Amino acid sequence: MHPPLSLIWFFLTAGTSIGLFTFTYFMEFLTLWGKNTALPKHMVVFSSLLSLVLIGLGAVGASFHLGHKLRAWKAIRRFRTSWLSREAVFSGAYGLSLLIFLALRYYDVTGFLYHAVGILTFLLGWLGAFSTAMIYASNKFVLEWNTSLTVLYFLDMYLMLGSSAFLAMTYHYDPRWVGTYVFLTFLFVTLGLFFRLAFNIRQAFLKRPTLNEALNLPHNRPIRVLDTGTTTTNYCTEEFYYRKGKELLPITIPIAYILTFVVPIFLLLYVWISGKNQYAFYAVTFASLLVGSLLERWSFFVEGNHVQNLFYGLYPEEGYKLRKGFMEWKKTKITYR
Amino acid sequence: MAQFALVIDLNTCVGCHACATNCKEWNTQASFGPLSDFDPYGREPEGVWYNRIMTYEMGEFPNTQVFHLPKSCLHCQDAPCVPVCPTGASYKREQDGIVLVNYDDCIGCKLCSWSCPYGCREFDEADKVMKKCTLCIDRIYDESLPPEQRKPACVLTCPARARFFGDIEDPNSEAYRMIKERNGFVLFPDMGTNPANHYLPRTETKIHIDEHLLRADNPLFLEVVRRHHVGL
Repeated sequence: MHPPLSLIWFFLTAGTSIGLFTFTYFMEFLTLWGKNTALPKHMVVFSSLLSLVLIGLGAVGASFHLGHKLRAWKAIRRFRTSWLSREAVFSGAYGLSLLIFLALRYYDVTGFLYHAVGILTFLLGWLGAFSTAMIYASNKFVLEWNTSLTVLYFLDMYLMLGSSAFLAMTYHYDPRWVGTYVFLTFLFVTLGLFFRLAFNIRQAFLKRPTLNEALNLPHNRPIRVLDTGTTTTNYCTEEFYYRKGKELLPITIPIAYILTFVVPIFLLLYVWISGKNQYAFYAVTFASLLVGSLLERWSFFVEGNHVQNLFYGLYPEEGYKLRKGFMEWKKTKITYR
Repeated sequence: MAQFALVIDLNTCVGCHACATNCKEWNTQASFGPLSDFDPYGREPEGVWYNRIMTYEMGEFPNTQVFHLPKSCLHCQDAPCVPVCPTGASYKREQDGIVLVNYDDCIGCKLCSWSCPYGCREFDEADKVMKKCTLCIDRIYDESLPPEQRKPACVLTCPARARFFGDIEDPNSEAYRMIKERNGFVLFPDMGTNPANHYLPRTETKIHIDEHLLRADNPLFLEVVRRHHVGL
C-alpha cells in the first residue's frame, strides 16, 4: 500500500495527544482516591493545551488525505456502518471535550464537572483511537492488517507516545512519581516491541490467496500476467503497490525497530538503573520514539499487500496449491499428426 | 429483487479493448463523465477507466492458453465498498442492484477502493472523487433511446458478442440463461462479496490439424512441433 503521509501525521499527533491526555488526567483522577498529590495547575493546563493543539493539527493534516476537505463534515453520516465515520465523530468530540476540560482547569472548576468531563474526554479519545485502528484491522483484503494485533499494537503505540511525552514534561512538576512513569513507558515500549515482532512473524505464516483463486481457476494450473490493460501505471497500481517503498523496506524496518524500541528501552533502563532523573534523556526517548514511529507507520503501510494486486501480478506469491471446490478450467487440446 | 449485471464469455473475448474504449468514450461525454486523462499524448498516458482488459497466460510452454479478462465493477450483491463509505456516497440501488457513487457526497477518502478486492474503483485526480462503472445507468433507463440500444456501451460495442447484460435474478433474461446453461462463475468467490458480474468459462475444444496444413516454412511452428515430439 502507498503510505499516505497525512495519515501518518494524524497517527503521530493524535497518538501523542490522546496518550498525553490519558496520563495527565490519570494523575488527576488518582487524587480523587487520595492516591496522589494533584499536578500543578500549569502542568495540567500546558499538557491539555498541547493535546488540544496536537489533535487540531492532526485533524488539519488528515484532511489533506481527502479529495474534498470542505465536505469532511459529511463523514459523520454513516456512523452505524463505517469505522472512518466513527473515527471522525469520536475524534471531533474528543477535541471539543478536551477544550472544555482545559477551560474548566484554567478557571479552577475542579469538582464533579471537571472529573466528569475528564473521564468523558478520556473515553472519547480512546474510542477514536480504537476506531482508527479498526479502519485498518477490519480491512480483510489486506491480510497483513486484518488481525487483532493491529488494534492492540496501535493502541499500545498511543500509550508509548503518550507516556514518553508525559515523562519528557515531568520537569514541570515535582518528579515524585517519575519512577512510576519511567516504568510505565518502559512497559509499553517493551510490549510494543513484542507486538511488532508478532506482527512481522505473523506475516511470514500468512496463508495468502493466489492468482488462481482470484480468477477462480484450479490451483494446479500455473498462470501469469501478460498484460494489465494499460501500458503505464494507474490508480490501482500506484495506490496498492509502492515499488520504491518495497525496495526500501529492508532498510526502514530495522531503523524503525532501533528508534522505536531499542533506543528508548536502553535510555529508560539506564535512567532506571542509575536512578538519575535526567530530563534530557526523557526528551531524547520521546524524540526517538516519534521519529521511529513515523518510520514504523510508513513501513506498516508499505508492508500491507492488497489482494487486488493479484490481478496485476504484484502480490507476494506462495506457489500453486491444489485445492478442491474451484471451477474446473477445461483445457483446449490441439493434436498434431 | 432485481440485480443487473454483465455476463462475459471468455470463449469469445478476443481482448480487442473495444469495450474499454467505448466505455471510456461514452462515460467521458455522458452523465458520469468526464473520465480524466493525464499526459494523453505523452510517454506515460494515465487516466480513469471503468473497464480494463487483462491478459493472462495459463499452462506451461508449449501447452499454454492465453485468455483475456475484461474487469469492471462487479456490482457485488454484498458490496464491501458500501458500508465503509463514511458519507454514504457509495450506495447500492435497491431497484436494480447497481452500485453507484454520488460525486456530490464523495469526500475522496479512498476507503471504498481499499475495501474492493477487485481493484475496480478509480480515483479521479482531476475531480478528486472516486469513480467506477455505472453499468451505463444513463443509457439503460433512457427512454429516448430505442429499446435495443438501452444496454451498456461495452455490450453494444463488443464485436465478438462476448458480453451480455441483464437481470441475473430474472429467469427470463439472457444473462440469467447464460449463467445457468454455461456454468457462469465469479471472481474471488472466497471473499464473500457475491459479485453480480459473471464470467462464462471456456468450453473444451478439440482441433485436429492435418499434416498438410502445417506450414513447413514457419520456423516458430516447426520449433513447437519439434519440442512436442522431443517431449520438452
